[in-house]
Amino acid sequence: MYFFLQIALSGIATGAIYGLIAVGYSLTFMTTKALNFALGMWVMFGGMLTYSLNVQYGIHPLIVLPIVIVTLFAFGLVAERFSVYPFLRAGSDVWVMSTLAVGFLMIDLAEIIWGRNPTPVPPFLGKNPVYIGSVSILPQQLLIIAAACVVFLGLDFFYRRTLLGKAFRAVAHSSDVSSLMGINTRRVEAMSYAVAAALAGIAGFLVVPLTLAEPQLGTVLGLKAFAIAIIAGLAAPRGILICGLFYGAFEGLVSGYLYTGIRDILGFTIMIVALYLRPEGIFGKPQEERA
Amino acid sequence: MRGANAWLGVLAVVALAAMPMITGGTYYTYLGIIVCIYGIVAIGLNILSGYAGQFSLGHSAFMAMGAYTTAILSKSLASITFFGQTGLHVWIGVVCGTIIAAMSGVILAIPALRVRGPYLAMVTIAFGWVIWKILQEWVSLTGGDLGISSIPKPQIGALRLDTQAFYYVVLASLLAILALQYRLITSPFGILIRAIKHSEIAVASVGIDVYRLKVIVFVISAAFAGFGGTLFAHQQNYISPDNFQFFSSVFFLLAVLFGGAGTMLGPIVGAGVLLLLPEMLHDFDKYRLIVYACLILLTLYFLPKGIMGLVWRPRRRQSAVAEMAAHSFDEIATFPAIVGAELQINNVSRAFGGLVALSDVSFRVAGGSIHALIGPNGAGKTTLINIVSGIYRADNGNIHIDGSEARIDSMHMAARQGIVRTFQTLKLFADMTVIEHVMIGMARHSRIGLWDAFINSRRAREEVAQNFREARNLLRMLGIEHLEQVPATSLAYGHRRLVEIARALAVRPRILLLDEPAAGLVAEEVRALAEVIRKLRKIGMTIMLIEHHMELVLSVSDRITVLDHGAVIADGLPSDVRRDERVIAAYLGPSRAAA
Repeated sequence: MYFFLQIALSGIATGAIYGLIAVGYSLTFMTTKALNFALGMWVMFGGMLTYSLNVQYGIHPLIVLPIVIVTLFAFGLVAERFSVYPFLRAGSDVWVMSTLAVGFLMIDLAEIIWGRNPTPVPPFLGKNPVYIGSVSILPQQLLIIAAACVVFLGLDFFYRRTLLGKAFRAVAHSSDVSSLMGINTRRVEAMSYAVAAALAGIAGFLVVPLTLAEPQLGTVLGLKAFAIAIIAGLAAPRGILICGLFYGAFEGLVSGYLYTGIRDILGFTIMIVALYLRPEGIFGKPQEERA
Repeated sequence: MRGANAWLGVLAVVALAAMPMITGGTYYTYLGIIVCIYGIVAIGLNILSGYAGQFSLGHSAFMAMGAYTTAILSKSLASITFFGQTGLHVWIGVVCGTIIAAMSGVILAIPALRVRGPYLAMVTIAFGWVIWKILQEWVSLTGGDLGISSIPKPQIGALRLDTQAFYYVVLASLLAILALQYRLITSPFGILIRAIKHSEIAVASVGIDVYRLKVIVFVISAAFAGFGGTLFAHQQNYISPDNFQFFSSVFFLLAVLFGGAGTMLGPIVGAGVLLLLPEMLHDFDKYRLIVYACLILLTLYFLPKGIMGLVWRPRRRQSAVAEMAAHSFDEIATFPAIVGAELQINNVSRAFGGLVALSDVSFRVAGGSIHALIGPNGAGKTTLINIVSGIYRADNGNIHIDGSEARIDSMHMAARQGIVRTFQTLKLFADMTVIEHVMIGMARHSRIGLWDAFINSRRAREEVAQNFREARNLLRMLGIEHLEQVPATSLAYGHRRLVEIARALAVRPRILLLDEPAAGLVAEEVRALAEVIRKLRKIGMTIMLIEHHMELVLSVSDRITVLDHGAVIADGLPSDVRRDERVIAAYLGPSRAAA
């Protein structure tokens, strides 16, 4: 039982990271029916930036975080303008390829800037595990879970209480009607990509002390987060968080009780089957085709 | 033009065949082999992504299936003397590898093709990932990360093929695959494949099971990729999971887009340029992703149709259908008579969430009559036509055709029972000609299979010729036969409406549902439309007309049903309905009715 709790808990911390990234996919999918396919590379960018500022320049993590958020937000706006908007406007699906291309560009640029060698980043709250009963957990993992909760509550507040958040929901519901109501839908769409990039940046900031700082850091994270977003339903942000946490715990348990090699095989197979059984996702509402 | 192209083609093949002798080096021959193999895989992906419009980012998994199957099989068969001496072990491996790849294509296609867009891309990525991981983890079978080495070299009889001889085998394979692509895409089957890229719902509306069609296309695509994989294994002598990573799947999609998605030669050109480019650049490995990323972006921005789109002017006559146009057909057969069916709608209800769109709607449409369904906006007309045509399911009630209950679960089921519709917002296939639209409507009755398409059998050619004659007659009846070779989306609006109707008529419906066919037409066109509708009644078809244009409704209808707020408020002869007070109230408001 002790072992079970131990690995489930650390799995949940990984799951919280998945959730943070996956919500980014959902944000842009709801507003534009498209998404940044390479969001994982943005996680990497956030992580590498954190490494640079924190380790190379010795800046305190509390100052690093806002810098990461603002930078990623800005880059997200730029990337949307050049790799998503032109194709969406033309009514084409090739944004799948264009956003992937931007991701590849980022990987190679990161290799040129930071090199290929993985480098450790010290955990922000020290290395000594804390004990909850007899279950130990790294402070960084607790930080991740706490931070994910804060971000999700913040997003919920943003959606429900702020004017811009309401505009987001309106555009998600119907872009045409929102536009008629005087909402600048173009701005909302661009913002959703920027917010998704910023969330990926936060995820990178949080996860980099647990992994290592390297240009390949985000690739698999981004893919798995996408799988989770799809299992939960791209239009169900709350479901995505729940799924993310469960998926993290599931991965921890599979690695702990079976073996690590089979983890992704099982995970992705489950995703394919889940999509077959419920194409709209576990938490999504079935949609009927319109003529 | 045609002759020049043929000569260019012969010249290109001769040049390719002479390449090993001119360059003299094994290295260039080796590069040639790799380009051909990647070209084969890219052609497979082109059929799926370029022509049918379904993005796959997992095609290297099918290549891996082919490669590993033949590697394992031919290695174990080689020890049997008979196979070792005849060289059959290699070719059995190649065949089995292709089959296994096709079968894994079936397994993936069944779940994957229920979804589209980013979902489909994700499923294919996940599949590629799973296969890649299995290759790494199933060490006893695949050798894990170390892969499989000393894969038998291909041999014919006792003769072992050297690099140059194998180059010719691979080149011949590429040309064969290219020919198969050409046959497939220009067959009636290929017209359907191209059509689903533009509107799946419109293809379903003529009675085609789109899901099944997409699965078939997916499997063909997987088989081609698997075949490429088997050749790859025998060329490389050594394979490992690294050969089949996610990135190589991206490479194939890039090759297709870069060369020209949905063009015959695009995938080969794309694969060739992208493979040879690194050879010309120093330090390429370091900047590989940057170069590819920039190429992707530049292609998407500036060459939406790829290199082939740039150098090749799109030929209007793309398919066998178009080829037929060159010949002339004098026969004028009239449109064969149809026995229109009676449509009975019994107590149909449908709600969306809390909103009741239809409540307990019943009426009867007599066989061979023109029956109008009218009502103010929001009355439930569209919901009803969507239920009858199989897009929505009714919550309650049922539909009878000629007195027996019809099970209408999907659009293609509706069409197969004789109910075919047109769409208020036109759903035409961009780039496809008028006559191709009609041929798509006829596909439902096609007797030819995939095999006929691949070998272009006599049966296939006869059917195309026959369909072409009928299609022409149909267009003549609608008065648009002079537009048969024009891309439908470049027509004037009124003509586009007629193309939509022509496609539906080609299915030979017993009940035709016309969803606001007069919307956007000018007065003269409306009169022509009325003429067409009357002609159809004369042929025998039952017609249900959903329309706002009262002049048209009153002039052609035998009977009118009026819906308001999801319920039938009047049903009778035009002369009675136009005087009905509830109808007038529904349209003009109660006060005006009283006055």
